[in-house]
Parts: sequence; structure tokens; C-alpha cells
Amino acid sequence: MSQDVPPFYVPVGTEVQVFGAAFQQGLSVMLKGPTGCGKTRFVEAMAHDLGRPLITVACHDDLTTADLVGRFLLRGGETVWVDGPLTRAVREGAICYLDEIVEARQDTTVVLHPLADYRRQLPMERLGVTLDAASGFCLVVSYNPGYQSVLKDLKDSTRQRMVAIELDFPPADVEQKILVHEAAIDEELATQLVRLGGAIRRLETSGLREVASTRVLVAAARLVTAGLDLRDAARAAIAGPLTDDPIVTAGLFEMIDAYVTHTST
Amino acid sequence: MNSATKVPVDAQVDIGNRYALLASAISGRPLEVAGGDPGRPAWSDGRTVFINAESAAQTQLQCVVIQASLIYAGSLEPRVLHKLARKPSATRRYLSLEGHRALTALSDLLPTTVVSVADPMTAQRTESPQSSLILAIGSEDIPDPPASFGVIRPRHVGIVGDERIDGLGGAHVPPRERQAVLRELEDDIGEGAIVDILASPVGGGGPIGRLLKRLLGDARSSGAGSPGTDAPTRLTRSSNSVSRLGSPTMRRLAVSKDGSLDVIRGFVYPEWNVHLRSYRPEWCTVVELEPEDGDRSRIPAGNTRSLRRALARLGTEVERQRRQPQGEDLDLDAAVDFYVEVRAHSFPDEDVYIESQRSRRDLSVLVLLDISGSAGESSGSGGIVHDHQVSAAADLTAALHQVGDRVALYGFRSQGRSAVHVYPVKRFDDTVSTLTESRLGGLRPGGFTRLGAAIRHGASTLERQGGTGRRLLVVLSDGFAYDHGYEGSYGEADARRALSEARHQGIGCLCLSIASTTDAEALRRVFGTAAYAAFGSTDLMASAIGPLFRAALGTAEVQRRRSERVTRSTELLSIERSGT
Repeated sequence: MSQDVPPFYVPVGTEVQVFGAAFQQGLSVMLKGPTGCGKTRFVEAMAHDLGRPLITVACHDDLTTADLVGRFLLRGGETVWVDGPLTRAVREGAICYLDEIVEARQDTTVVLHPLADYRRQLPMERLGVTLDAASGFCLVVSYNPGYQSVLKDLKDSTRQRMVAIELDFPPADVEQKILVHEAAIDEELATQLVRLGGAIRRLETSGLREVASTRVLVAAARLVTAGLDLRDAARAAIAGPLTDDPIVTAGLFEMIDAYVTHTST
Repeated sequence: MNSATKVPVDAQVDIGNRYALLASAISGRPLEVAGGDPGRPAWSDGRTVFINAESAAQTQLQCVVIQASLIYAGSLEPRVLHKLARKPSATRRYLSLEGHRALTALSDLLPTTVVSVADPMTAQRTESPQSSLILAIGSEDIPDPPASFGVIRPRHVGIVGDERIDGLGGAHVPPRERQAVLRELEDDIGEGAIVDILASPVGGGGPIGRLLKRLLGDARSSGAGSPGTDAPTRLTRSSNSVSRLGSPTMRRLAVSKDGSLDVIRGFVYPEWNVHLRSYRPEWCTVVELEPEDGDRSRIPAGNTRSLRRALARLGTEVERQRRQPQGEDLDLDAAVDFYVEVRAHSFPDEDVYIESQRSRRDLSVLVLLDISGSAGESSGSGGIVHDHQVSAAADLTAALHQVGDRVALYGFRSQGRSAVHVYPVKRFDDTVSTLTESRLGGLRPGGFTRLGAAIRHGASTLERQGGTGRRLLVVLSDGFAYDHGYEGSYGEADARRALSEARHQGIGCLCLSIASTTDAEALRRVFGTAAYAAFGSTDLMASAIGPLFRAALGTAEVQRRRSERVTRSTELLSIERSGT
């Protein structure tokens, strides 16, 4: 039964309408935004709303075309073709979500081109066939324009086949709502965490590669729900993951102490 | 608080490091925090917040937050404050108004405990520093500021504000613009005592100068014995292969520094005498000195993204590897073998796939940063050359580190042949951290440029510590080779020679000149056939750096193969000769 609960997503701008329109027209979607701002959750919510299965592929730099499309395996003296996740989505008409697409090699992402434009086809050279995408198939990629993407940027030819939706960290009131919903903590604690997150996001230099995302705030909130002191939770879930540098860590601890009042329960 | 919250880093880090991040987050720009005089109220000069190091943590926190809020709100704008000079009571009234205004305006961003100090009634009476100023000078009744507001010292803020670019001391400058402002800043040498010592480390009677004199005096007398024993053989052998000349002879010197014994390493290198067309053996002594920590906010947080993108593509080719346990294609030969083994009832090898693997990154880069006095000259594009070079060095180092290359950064300058000083800002095995930034911020231009010795030392360090097949030496310099007995064509020829030695060792050389006024002809004379480029500013570097790196590495590759061949044939020759 819990499968039917829609994923919790609070729209901030027009992203839901844009996604709906792109899906209806069979266009591919590129989600841009910093890590932990809710890209994956947004896709889950949209897949649920549109009633399509969701196939997620977490991209990494060893991801090859064969990992997406499929490959021959040896089985009992025979070669057997096994579909990859992309092929499965094309056949079933599912939403195929390639998380952190820039992590994949560029020669891998080229296979997406005929799928992402008007052709909506997947050529499978090893089988010598070309699959037409079933209706309902939608290609969604996520892309973090910040730190991760710099090693290999997305090719322009890939980018221009997509509709871009830009996501960012939600405004304070929405983020507070998210924390309350996700971790079932009270408003007061959520306010403190959101303020702390906002302060860290204002830091421009200071040796932090990434700022505190909604995801780490939720993690901190959940630790609190599990009985941890708010300060300890923030140290463990926010400061620790952001940096290894002892000086920056100490600075973050001090910020946490400043923004978080003691909750001695 | 339970014991789990006691983290050891708390103890190590002083007051400044603890609060700097918080202060920067609130003020929206890099801000330092320092312990001020005990018992004095907190204040700020617009760049550093001074708080009482002995007061309670909660009080310190409030003071930091309030001073940072004042800076964010533009309350410490020198243009406003200079009207308050020598008016202590008006300043107090101004502080009260501005403090409450800043806290109220920022109430959504501040820690809740501090917001409670704000008095919205007082805050309502003013909407800008200017209107606060008018109210403060007037005669209306204004409540005294709470103790946690500290004080405003109009004249001290003014001094800093005037020395620096107008606006940086006061109103909030958005981070992107601020980088531009920082780059244009004149070198503010007058600001601290440490700076003065660094500015001329060997000259005169400074403590470091005295230490070095003693140190180098010892070097000449005590060092001649032990290393000399194997030096002649090395020199005769190296007449065939120039590259071996570069190997350093290490001298261990014991010098007393305030009564204690220190061991400092000196490296000895030859120098090329273009007039006699021969080397002067053991001519230059290179000493590695620990760089002083400086102000890391001086290093603009450069945008290394385009640099990283350019550098990431170097040396990452995809190779197809056979007989892998997994992969995207079947390796037919392996599969056939597999079935042969199965049919023969022996033990089959199950690795029957072909996998495309990206070869691992195999590059180490040593960046040599020229910190001689000529870098202190003003550049064609604003600011001084040194600041441009430092920001280029910081960006390059960060970008290379982030794409996973081994990278080191050394500053260098000289004062005659026996005092070539290199400052390891980041050694190969150090990680890029805030320490790297503060060391880089501590470098100040001074002294001369014995390029050749620095290049030889860089090349030899790369050779010893690089640890990768492909090595690259990047020299960031204005190309003005000048030192005692190292003038004009002599210096230029030696620098050129040192670069060609490095290339023979298979080290790629790339010389970059950022924002310098040296003309292209002079650069060509010094850098010779090495890949070199001059850029007006750091931003322009990213677009060209990829091809430059590739060209430098390519030349080194060719040279290395050629010199290996030559070495092998000369060795063969000598074997034949010794045989006869």
C-alpha cells in the first residue's frame, strides 16, 4: 500500500507544468541544480503523477554504452542478449532517469542522441536493430552545473536535444515545510536548521566545494527525530559531509553552535 | 553536553579560525576574526572583527554576529564614518541605531539567540547609514547601545578603507565583483610587521636576514667536504648527457636559531656560463624555506571551472582491454579458449570480456612562482603583477589538484648565487587546504630572479617526487632574469639552458607570464623554444592552457625518447671503449 503514497514534492516555480508539457510532447528533459536540491525527488513525483514506471540509472565514469543498452552474456555455451535499463525503458514506455549524466563518458551519452530528438529511436548496433520508443517513454537527465560537471561537461549536441528545468534550493518557508514533512520534527527546530543552511549557502569562499543542501538538512532533522541532540545531529549530518579541513570544520561547528539552540530534552 | 560533542579540533583552533566562517557567512564576504585587547569592547575595521578573547563564548558570538551584520548593512562605510571622527557620543548613538537596524534587517538570516537583542522600535527610526548619521548628530533621544554592540572606531575603519579600494571597506561588494577589486588592490605592505620581514628576507638586519647570513656562511665553509667526493665523477660522466648535471648535491647545514639547532637543506646546482660555453659546477645554492602564513582572503576564490575543463582532457585516453572479468563485448579469443578448457575438463579462465577503460591520469605538475621584486611592479591591466601571478598559481594548482593530478607549488626568489630561496607553498604530498591559501597569501614580492637555479631545482624536485611518467614544469614569471652576476644575456642564456636540460630529462616546460609588461622579444630570449605564452589576465589563461600543456608535454616526450637513445648509444660506446 505504501507504494501508492505520492512522493513528497513541493513545487517552487513552473517546473511541474514544464515537465508535464515536455512529457506530453515527447521531449527529453534536463534537470539542472546543485546536489541535494531535490532533482531525483522531483522526477519520482512526476513519474507518479504521470503514472509511468521510473527506471533510474546512476551514472558513473565507467558507465559504457553497453551498460545502458545491453550486452551479450555467455550462458551455457550460448550467447544471450540482456537488455540494459535504457532499452527496457524504451520497450516499456517508462521514464528513464539518468542521474548525474555528466559523470558518464561523453562517448556513452552519444547513444542518447537519436532517442532525445524527434526520432525517438534507439539503434542497437550489436543486435542490428533499431527500436522505436514506446509511447510514454521519456528521457530525463540530471546535471549539476557546479563541481561535478567540470571534469566532463555535457556536449552541446546533447544539451540542445533537451528541455532544461532549473532547480535550486527551495526558499526558506518551503524548505522548512520539507523538513517538517520528511523528518517529522517540529517547526521550531526546522527553522533553526533552515537558517543554518541559509547561512552556509551564503559563504562564497572558505574552502567549501558544496554548500549545505536540502538533503543534508533533512538528514540532520532525521537524526534529531531519532533522538539525537540538534547540535550533534547538525555536526554529524551537515559539517562532517561538507569538509575534511580541520579549520573549516571548526568554523562550521561554530556556526552550528550559533544557529542551533540547545535542546536538552 | 555529552562527551560525543567534544571534538578535538575545537582545542586546536584559535578564536579567529572558529568565528571567521560565521562572520563571513553573515557579512557575505571574507572576514577575519581576531582576539583584540583584553577588556576592550568588540570592534571592526571592515576587514577583521576584533573581539575580547577572554569573554564568554555566548558574548563572543553576539559580538561577531553584530559586527558582521554592521558590515553587511553598510554601517561601516568609511564615507559615512569619517563624519563621525572625534565625535564619541554621536558615534555611540550611530552605533545604537545602526546595530538595531542591521539586526532587524538581517533577522531572517541570523541565529535566533542574537536576533533577540535587536530593538525593532529603535530600528524603525532609520533606514540607511545616512539617515542614522543625521539622527546621531542631531539631538533626538536615542537609547545607549547594549554592551554586545561593541564600539565603532571611525578613524580606524577610515584608514583601512582609504588604503584599500573605496567600497571594499564599507558597502557590501558582491563576490564576483570583489575578485576584480581584490586583484586591483595595491600591495598593502604597510599593514603588518610580518610583511616587512618577508618583503626583504635577506636584506639588512631583519631576523630572517641575519639567520640566512649565518646559514649561508656555514654553507660555504662546511659543505665543501662531503658532497665533493662524488661530484667530479658525476660531472665527467655527464659531459655526455646534459641532464645528469641537474642532479642536486644535498648539503645538510646545522644552524643555530636563537640557540636551538635547525637542519636546513641546501641544494647545489651548476650554472651555464654562456661566455665560456661551459658549466660552472656547484655554483648556486638553493635553500627551501618554509613560507610564512599570510592572509588567505588575499587569494581571490578564482573560478577554476574552465581551467579544470581544459586540463581534465589531458591524458585520459580510453583503451580496450582484453580478457576482463566484465565488459561490454565478448573477447572471442578468450571465449574460445574458455570452451576449449571446458571441453578438455580442465580449469577455464572466465575472463572473457573486453572492457574499455580509461587510462589513469599520469601527470605531475610543479608550478614555480616568481616572487622577485619585479613582480611588485604595476601591471598593464591594473594591480601589481604579483597579484595576477598569485591568482593564476592558485587557480592552476587548485584546478590540477581537482582533476586528480599530482601538483606542487613553489615560490622562488634570489639574492645572489648562494641564496636562491624557494618557498614550498604546496609540496606534492600536501593536500590543497586553507593552509595552502594562507601560505600563498603570505608571499610578498622582493629580491631578484635567478631563474636558472630555480628551474633546475624545480626539475629535480619533479624528478624525485613527481612519481609519474609525464611531468610538467610550469614557470610563472615575468621572464626578467636578473640577479647579482646574472644580468642580461648571461642570465637569459642560463635560464634557457636550464629549460632545455629539463626537457632532456623528459620534463615538459611551460612558461606563463601574466599581466606583465615584459615585451615578447625578451620573453622569447629567456624562454627560448619552450612553450610560453603571455596573458593579460588570469581569465584569459583558461582558453589556451589545454593546447599549451599538450604542446609542452609533447615536446618533452620527443626529447626524452631522443635523449634516451643518445644515452644508450653513448653508454654502448663507452662499454666498447673500456672493452678494447
